[in-house]
Amino acid sequence: MKKIIFAVVVLAVAGVPLAIGGKYALHVGSMIAITATLALSMNLMLRIGQVSMAQGAFMGMGAYSSALLTMKLDWSPMVAMLASAVVVGMLAVALGFVFLRIKGVFFVLLTYAFAQIVNLSIQEASTWTGGNNGLYGIPKLAILGFRMVEPSAFYLCALAVAVLAWAVVHSVFRSRIGAILDSIEQDEGLSRALGTNALRWRVAVFGLSAVLASLAGSLFAHHLNFLSPANFTFLQNVDLLIMNIVGGVSSPTGAVLGALILVPLPELLRDAKQYELLIYGGILLGSLLFLRDGLVGRLGRLSFARRAVQTMREAGHGAA
Amino acid sequence: MALLEVDGVGRRFGGVQAVADVTFALQPGEVFGVIGPNGAGKTTLFNLIAGLFEPSSGRVVLDGTDITGWPSDSVARLGIGRTFQGVHTFKGVTVRENLQRAALLAHSFDPLRHFGNLMRRRSSVDVAVCEDVARFVGLHDRLEETAAGLSYGLKKLLGIGMALMQQPRLLLMDEPAAGLNPTEKRRLGEVIRDIRQMRCIDVMLVEHDMKLIMETCDRILVMNQGRPIALGDPTQVRSDPAVIDAYLGVDYDFA
Repeated sequence: MKKIIFAVVVLAVAGVPLAIGGKYALHVGSMIAITATLALSMNLMLRIGQVSMAQGAFMGMGAYSSALLTMKLDWSPMVAMLASAVVVGMLAVALGFVFLRIKGVFFVLLTYAFAQIVNLSIQEASTWTGGNNGLYGIPKLAILGFRMVEPSAFYLCALAVAVLAWAVVHSVFRSRIGAILDSIEQDEGLSRALGTNALRWRVAVFGLSAVLASLAGSLFAHHLNFLSPANFTFLQNVDLLIMNIVGGVSSPTGAVLGALILVPLPELLRDAKQYELLIYGGILLGSLLFLRDGLVGRLGRLSFARRAVQTMREAGHGAA
Repeated sequence: MALLEVDGVGRRFGGVQAVADVTFALQPGEVFGVIGPNGAGKTTLFNLIAGLFEPSSGRVVLDGTDITGWPSDSVARLGIGRTFQGVHTFKGVTVRENLQRAALLAHSFDPLRHFGNLMRRRSSVDVAVCEDVARFVGLHDRLEETAAGLSYGLKKLLGIGMALMQQPRLLLMDEPAAGLNPTEKRRLGEVIRDIRQMRCIDVMLVEHDMKLIMETCDRILVMNQGRPIALGDPTQVRSDPAVIDAYLGVDYDFA
């Protein structure tokens, strides 16, 4: 029953941009789906207790690589997107064996430095990337020769990737792998004493998170048809972090919920632009103070409370 | 052939020689104790075997495989289980899930090779084995309680149960009796003897509690200031002049 309600709510929410229709609503919908995928990639890292500032860089790599493969080598966008994700994932695995030996603040700084290097490289390699002037004329997404010119078609593709990303993160954490990752996060010494290679598991998660970020980056490139290094700064990572905190770190649904709330916010506040940061800050402060496990935690407790009330009522009927 | 051979093992931390030139071999089927005053290097010796530190000299050989300097998870996979000084459990989850996680962590270390098996649900791990081990350490009626809610003594027993889920060949126990009351200590002594006799797992323990050591160990290594000073069965060790000298004035009761 709970699953059916969940599916109905998801379908209803996903249907909103299609119902409103028009380029603008579908653009916002696509951006939510892309950002939700990114927030999921950050969620994976947070679940293993590491705040990564490299997710924006992986997104940028996916975006530029997909854009350049389609523009310079005439690859099909879908093939370019998948190939970029594989390469970025492999790169993350290689880097992970070095990065993930380091924890806490130092990991944040290390990934920050890495992201800066990637961003500066994009700026400097201007013959390829257009540098700070940006890269124009990236082709629209196409799947098996079918070009996603209609905004609704692209929206459905971005939505499919986001749903897939959610399903992957959800099933990983519901499975035995989730138990292993939780164990490593809670007590690494004990996990290792029991025979688990903690580094290898963390590297695997880092790789998966990079794949998701890269896919989102490629979608971003083929959606906007224009890229600039300014899209992939460290602020991107901070936004993803905030989405996870607002939505709830402890579940992939929280990450999606965070994106769903924070991405449309600037659009809704267009007439009150000067208050945008204030409201943004208020939401963050409010969720840090009042929502310990984010919105998902709050919803979970609500349904728990409802169940408790129902049980009491039934017990009351029984007694009467 | 000996299960574990420790050959001239030493470890230096800066200017401090924490452990120097320790040599012994564990005979199959024995409970082996390591004792010594505070700072004798017992726990360091343990950590050198379990792979938490790398020895600065000497060799550690498990059943013919040289494991000197191996990381702790590789040592664990080769068959050395360990329990910790103090308690280490996964606090927020139930006793059952602690045991399940222990089996999982011990037996599915390779993400790629075990992928299909690993994508199954968390709760499906070795139900029968969990219950068997829980009964063995006396936690079978507390399987659904969270680990954080157990008494200190029961948490320690859970730690032993988790190490058993690993199905080790050798179990290293670092001060298992520390912090336990006399009843719990008696129970612990029984569990250690059962581990040896019923599960056929060799046990090596570091302990301060002389009564437990004298009652459960077949052989005892006595250390002082990082060096071994005596090795023998409990009666030999008790009457060894070097041992009495090391403990003199420390008011130890040789039970």
